[in-house]
Parts: sequence; C-alpha cells; structure tokens
Amino acid sequence: MPAWITTLIAVCVAVWASTRTHQARRDAYGAATRVELMERQLKAAEARTLALGEEIRQLAEKRIPAAATALSHRSAPVPGLREAAGVEGDAARLLTGAVEAARTAILEERGRVDAAARSAMRGTSAKIQSLLNQSQHLLQELQHEYDDPRILQLDFRNELALRRTQATAVLCDAWPGLARQNSSLVEVVLGAQSRVAGYERIKVANHLRQERLALVARAAEPFAIALAELLANATAYSHPDTEVPVTVQQTAGRGALVLVDDAGIGMDDDALKRARTLLAGPSEVLLTELGDPPQTGFAVVGRLVARYGFSCHIEASPYGGMRTMLRVPAHLLTVMDDDRTLSVLAPKAVDARGPLAEPEPGARTPAPTAEPAGDGTGEPATGRTAGPAAGTSATGLPSRRRRTPRRAPAPGPAPETHEERPPLRTPEQAEASWAALQEGTLSGRNAPAPTASSSDDQGDDET
Amino acid sequence: MTPGPGRRLIPAYLVTGGRSAPTGPALDRLAVLVRTDEALPPNAGSEQRRLCELLEPGALTVVECAAHLELPVSATVFLATDLVAGGHLHARPPIPRAGEIDRSLVERLLVGLRTLH
Repeated sequence: MPAWITTLIAVCVAVWASTRTHQARRDAYGAATRVELMERQLKAAEARTLALGEEIRQLAEKRIPAAATALSHRSAPVPGLREAAGVEGDAARLLTGAVEAARTAILEERGRVDAAARSAMRGTSAKIQSLLNQSQHLLQELQHEYDDPRILQLDFRNELALRRTQATAVLCDAWPGLARQNSSLVEVVLGAQSRVAGYERIKVANHLRQERLALVARAAEPFAIALAELLANATAYSHPDTEVPVTVQQTAGRGALVLVDDAGIGMDDDALKRARTLLAGPSEVLLTELGDPPQTGFAVVGRLVARYGFSCHIEASPYGGMRTMLRVPAHLLTVMDDDRTLSVLAPKAVDARGPLAEPEPGARTPAPTAEPAGDGTGEPATGRTAGPAAGTSATGLPSRRRRTPRRAPAPGPAPETHEERPPLRTPEQAEASWAALQEGTLSGRNAPAPTASSSDDQGDDET
Repeated sequence: MTPGPGRRLIPAYLVTGGRSAPTGPALDRLAVLVRTDEALPPNAGSEQRRLCELLEPGALTVVECAAHLELPVSATVFLATDLVAGGHLHARPPIPRAGEIDRSLVERLLVGLRTLH
C-alpha cells in the first residue's frame, strides 16, 4: 500500500516538475524574445530621432533659407526632405508645414515692407513731381522771354526728371496726378516722345483716318506715361544710329493702336515671358521683384493697363528688335472739339498729306501705299495757302498786313518773274536809273524853252 | 499749346531734334524770313511745312513766325535755320537801329562842304 502511494506521489511530482520546467523554459524564451524586440525598437527609435534631428537641421539650415530665397529668385531650387524614408508621414508633413509657415510669414512681412517703401516713395515723388511741374512752368515763361536755346535744353532735362518721378509714382500706386482735357491722340504720342532721351530718333507716322481722334480726358495722361515708358525702352535698347518708328493707326474695332518698333538687341525667352506677365497688368507688383537697379518700364505700363483698360502686347519686331503695341479701346476715344487747334508739331495724317506723304522712303512700316508721286508736287502748299490768313485772325493776334502778296499760287512760269523782282535792284541798274534822272534834269535845265519842263516832269515820274 | 492749367503736352524743344544750338549762322529775332521757290522735301516735318505756308503770302520776321506757330523764338530759330540751310527760306538780317551820329564828324563834313564852295 505505501508503495503504490509513494509511486503515485513520485509520478505526480515528476509530472509537476516536468511541467514546471517546460513552463520556465517557455517563459525564458518569451523573455528573450521580448528583450530582443525591445532592443530593436530602441534602435529604431534612436535612428528615427537621429533622422528627425538631421531633418530639423536640414529645415533650419537649408529648406527655410532656400524657400525664402526662392520667393525673390524664382529659379532657385528648394530642397525637400533629406531622406524620405527616415521620417514617417506625420513628421514629414509637420516639417513641410514649418516651411510653409515660414514662407507665409516672409511673404506677409515682405508685403508690409514693400507697402511701406511704396508709400514713402509715393510721398516723395509727389513732392518732387509738383516741384518739377513748377519749374516747367517757369521754364516755359523764360522760353518766351529769352531766346537762349539752353533754356530749351533745360526744359528737356526737367521733362526727363518728371517722367522718372511720374513713373515711380505710378509704380507706387499713386494717381498719375494730372487732369487733362480731351487730347488729340497724335499730340499725346508726341508728348510721350518728348519725354524720352533720344527723342530725335523717334519718327512718328500718323495713319489715322480721323485727324481729330482724341483720348478722353482721364486716359490722356496715363496713356502718355505708358507710351513714354515703351518708347524709353525702345530707344534705350537700340543702337543710337537707328530710328524708332512709331505708327499711330485706327483699328477695325473703332479703337486705336500705337506700334513702337526698334532695331535693338531683342529679348530672350525668359525676359519676354516676364515682360508679358508684367504687361498683362498683375494685381500687385512688388518693388523687390523688379531687380536692382529696378526695371520699372513694363511694370509701370502693366499698372496703367490694369487700371485704365489699355492693352499692351510685345513681340519680336520685323526691324530686328522688339515691337510693342499699345491699344486704346473704343470707349477711351473721342473726337476733339473743333475749337481746339492741333499743335504745329503734330504730324499730318499720311493719307491727308497726299502723294507727298510717304514718311520715310525706304523702310517705313505698314505705310498705307501712297499713290505714286508726280502730279501733286505743289498740291499741299497751294491747298493750304489760305490757311495762314484765316489762322492769323483766328488766333486773335494783332496781324500785320503784308505789303506785297507775293504771287499767285499758280505753279509754272510764275516763279521766274517772281525770282526777278524781289532781289532789289543791282547797283548797275540803280546807277543807270539815277544817271538817267540826272541826265534828264540836266538836259531839262539846259533847255531854253519853257515847254521842255513838262516833259522833264514826265521823265521824273517814269524813272 | 495746351490751354488751361496743368502740364503742357508738347514741349517746344521737340523742334530742336536734340541739338543744343541751331546749325548755321545765328538768326536775330527780328531777322526777316522770305520763302524761296525751293520745294520742300517730301519728308519735311509738319512744322516746317507750316512755317513755309506762313511765308507764302510774304515776308515775316522770326518773332512773328514764332507767334503764329505758337512756339518760343528760340525754337523757331532752329526751324528757320534748317530751312535756310536747305535753301527753302532766305533770311535777311534786321535793319540795324540808327546809331548815335558822331557830331564832330558831321561838323567836319559841313566845314568841308562849305570850303568846297
């Protein structure tokens, strides 16, 4: 009895022991696995921390500065994450978010700084502009008082300064600052021409069908400013020996178009793209985007285009350089009142000038084909001979009646007789006539008969 | 040129074509301009045409032309000298104002004349 009990107990103990051993072994194995896992996780976490640190360094040292640079230099590359696998989605998103936040902050700050700079420049340029306007008035008065040609030069320098100031003011969102009346389109074009260095190279060809076509008052000065900028570009970027042909014409849609060509160096694709962007009239142009020294021309035109409804296009010119086209929509055009006379300097419309009109024999742009010259050489002159007389009284100036109407406007043999007359008598002729007089007088005095005196008088009269 | 207040549109210096002084002999503001029969070239500017038209009926002084063209005299001189150089105009210097007569010279002349008798 005790024997089987003992055996039973032994067996139980053995079974229990073996179970325990097994259990312990399994526990030990599980623990080892866990440790291994933990170690691996730890290592991974360390690597992540390291990668994250590197990414943050990359963010601080490279990505944010590069993003800031890219705001002003579009072509600058902006690096991304160093190794995309090293950082998980959330962290990567956050890091990119940091770059975005920095960009936004920089943009806002830049906007504020730019606005401050613009308002400062607006104030200054408004003051300078009014001073220059005053000197212009004074110079004009001086011009009429003194005949020194240097006053004209001074006036020109003043006008150049005025254009710069005005362009700056426009760029800084100022009002162009001038109220004009409705102004003849050709006169406005000439006005723009006069504001540009090298204006003598600009040749304006007037191809308008209506000579008195005018810009409405509010568009006149802005148009002059915009065109002056285009002309300044054309003269500045072309050789001083070349001409800058400007063509004024009416479009089919009752608008008007001014073409400016230059035979200059042209533009590369990048510059052209940028110019087109500026000319399209973006809502905001920052001073900081215009380079150093700032290139304001197209930006100024763009601002005016956006504000007044002109449109401007630029392309390669058949003359070799660039061609810019400034278009005025029909609603900004009108016809000038009849009581205003056009300036003497305004070129006559090509068609109106008749066969003499062909402005530049060779290379003129799309000159509407003038009739072959020939019959009408004297035509414009005779056609307008009546002009001065009528104009004289119309101006209200005290008009002097000239003694000799010089000649009938008939061309042909008339010039010859006229050529003989006005050169005063030659000394020989004078001598002859006076000698005749003297001779007559002498013979009269010597004549004994009183009847001779009457013939003497007659002789006097005739000489 | 542009009536009323505000900035003028077309300045007079456009006539100079960028030159600082007129080419050719200086013209007095009282010099008399006379049109010749030389026809204007086809590419003459409208201001040159206008000046020649002004002179068609007869001679005028520079200052009168300036008033008719509504240009300052200095600018008109540029215009006129160009046309004179091209043979389209004759310019006659103004008749000089009579100067003070030298009294002693006249007295000596009188004495001389008397002694001739």
